[in-house]
Amino acid sequence: MIRRWAIVVLWLACIPLARAEPYIAVNQGLKCISCHTSATGGGKRNAYGNVFAQTQLPARTLRAEGKTGFWTGEVFKYLAVGGDLRGGWNRIDVPEEPQTSQTELNSFLGYIEIKAIPNYLTLYIDAKLAPGDVEIREQYVRLSISNGKFYIKGGEFFLPYGLRLQDDSAFIRQVPGINFNTPDTGFELGWEQGHWSAQFAVTRGAAENLQADNGRQYSLLINHVRSRWRVGGSLNFNDTDVGDRQMQNMFAGVKTGRVAWLAEIDYIIDDGSPTGRRKSWATLLEANTALKKGHNLKLGYEHFDPDTEVPEDQQNRYSIVWEYSPIQFLQARAGYRRYSGIPQNATQNREQYFLELHIAF
Amino acid sequence: MTRHCQFFCGLVMLIAVAGCSAGSGEGLNISGRPLSEGANIPLAPTLESIQANVFDPSCIICHSGASAALGLRLDSANSFTNLVGVTSVQNSSLARVEPGSPDQSYLILKLEGRASKGQQMPLGGPPIPQSTIDFVRQWITDGAQPVAGPMPTTAPVVVSITPGPDALIATLPSQIVAAFDQDIDASTVNNMTFVLRASGGDDLFDNGNDVPVVSSLVVLSMINPRLASFDLSGVSPVEDLYRVTLRGAGPSVILGLNGLSLDGEFTGALPSGDGTEGGDFRVEFELRGVQPTLQSIQDNVFTPSCGVSGCHTGPTGPVLPGGMDLSNAAASFASLVGVTSIEQPPELRVAANDADASYLIQKVEGRAAVGAQMPLGGQALDQETIDAIRAWIDQGASP
Repeated sequence: MIRRWAIVVLWLACIPLARAEPYIAVNQGLKCISCHTSATGGGKRNAYGNVFAQTQLPARTLRAEGKTGFWTGEVFKYLAVGGDLRGGWNRIDVPEEPQTSQTELNSFLGYIEIKAIPNYLTLYIDAKLAPGDVEIREQYVRLSISNGKFYIKGGEFFLPYGLRLQDDSAFIRQVPGINFNTPDTGFELGWEQGHWSAQFAVTRGAAENLQADNGRQYSLLINHVRSRWRVGGSLNFNDTDVGDRQMQNMFAGVKTGRVAWLAEIDYIIDDGSPTGRRKSWATLLEANTALKKGHNLKLGYEHFDPDTEVPEDQQNRYSIVWEYSPIQFLQARAGYRRYSGIPQNATQNREQYFLELHIAF
Repeated sequence: MTRHCQFFCGLVMLIAVAGCSAGSGEGLNISGRPLSEGANIPLAPTLESIQANVFDPSCIICHSGASAALGLRLDSANSFTNLVGVTSVQNSSLARVEPGSPDQSYLILKLEGRASKGQQMPLGGPPIPQSTIDFVRQWITDGAQPVAGPMPTTAPVVVSITPGPDALIATLPSQIVAAFDQDIDASTVNNMTFVLRASGGDDLFDNGNDVPVVSSLVVLSMINPRLASFDLSGVSPVEDLYRVTLRGAGPSVILGLNGLSLDGEFTGALPSGDGTEGGDFRVEFELRGVQPTLQSIQDNVFTPSCGVSGCHTGPTGPVLPGGMDLSNAAASFASLVGVTSIEQPPELRVAANDADASYLIQKVEGRAAVGAQMPLGGQALDQETIDAIRAWIDQGASP
């Protein structure tokens, strides 16, 4: 056992420094599935992801005396668990409105992975445990074949589309409406080979409103991953009673020295608007600088054009976020976001300050 | 190379930041829409004001269009229809807006961050100031009236229906709800104009064997005159293809308050209509899976899994397994309901209205103290099927 862990640690020690979220994958030249149970990222970390998060992300790794090995999430051969807890302080200044601030538990997520037949058949559950009632976010069965080259999963899951940022308020997450608040039910086919990764999902397209829906939503995500860069694209088509919605995006990542860059551009055509067809753009540019081990500085710029037919309605968002991981399992985040939109809408011109504590295991 | 690449990426970001400025808002209202679509109006406890000052600027970024979150479209054409008197998807014990009761309105719980499910709305944005929410509260307290305006000059159309067109459902809902784009004449919503038929088992209609489904209550909502419902309580659920028809043509039709008949033609997308007054609205949905009726349980469980050769095939008698005859619905009823178990007397095989006390349930759930789980040697029944059997028993275990 000790020897096995020694090999893992030595291997990790050879990997250049990285910090968090999708850009961690850009920094490492790895696919999402390298660190997460889900091939499209997010949610429970696998054994490698857990060890990586304990040894490479934090400024220092604390070790109990006489203890060897790391938390891998594996309770025993057939069961693995994980979790994410986020809470903190948030202040929002809307021009000419009273300032609001609150300290709260944002979310406590729990993950269970039952490996019915290890490496082949998996049952996965992702649930929000707090605040409020327990809510299942993902629940699916996945069957992998050909050494994980192909898989099929069925159940409720987050759709494969674009960069899976943790921040659901980013334009590229909010505007397409595919984010951590909108799991869908159906099946997904996955393919992993060499530098390529692809997922195709057919789901109900109802954003949790199961009874009202009759249509189908098709999502396709393709990634080409190299050690220093990656490119990808997504397509999504939602056929609904009130019209069709077609979305497409391209995204890319590149590593230049200490900086990992992310970019995504989304184009959305929605026939379900009361004023007829509406076309929108949403974009993201993000630079993540590894200041030193345990510290990451994230600079973000986003642009949103809600309707290409309407001039002067565009919105921007600027972000600066410092992420600090002092020890394993723990991350502190401090950030500032500046929204810029049409002057007559105060909310579109707000400022946000936040401090967040994130515990991940 | 790295430096060049870094310089290039930084330059791209700088150009983007400098080149893509926010809109000036010239000629737009507070929601970023052209003033021709609606001018700015002050906050007031009216839907028109709430639409302009809350829903449009803060909600419709997610709650509009084809992929509206939870199917809840809050644009001006749909907000009243989708909110007032409509049961919440996240909390089925509450209406999204309950006229007269803001604290019983899920919309208020979501805006104030007091809902037990999901996050506070607007998602990712600043909470709506309480002073603004108070206007929403007042609108609800005042009865949640629709936007006051001139009488529509167009024929009413169907904007949504639940279950949705071509939906495949496992459980018959308590009611079918159709929503219209304008207020409907309540006197025209009845069993003649809101019609439900089952295909008769052949998935075909108008071939002589259609089965009309009669409802004891087909009405227009008293609190939302744009919602018509077809009550299904008491209707025996039978696996079949169902067709919902809302009459827009013929002697009895659904009329808007403007006297125009329903523009109902449905060609795959809502709202309905071809732009011309008249035309029936027809959609279908399928009910599949074991239903809480003896016939459905017989067809899906007893016949294929129990009444098979060498098992519960009769004739009725004191010796198991044959003595408990489950080979057809009549025999199953005679062998089960109110009949004392041979294995575990004095327990009843089926105690009407009490699934927990029914030995049949213990046997299929594998909890019986005697003998093996049923079906013997076969795959255990899934929980959905057992729940249907439980529901049949709890509803009286009728033949």
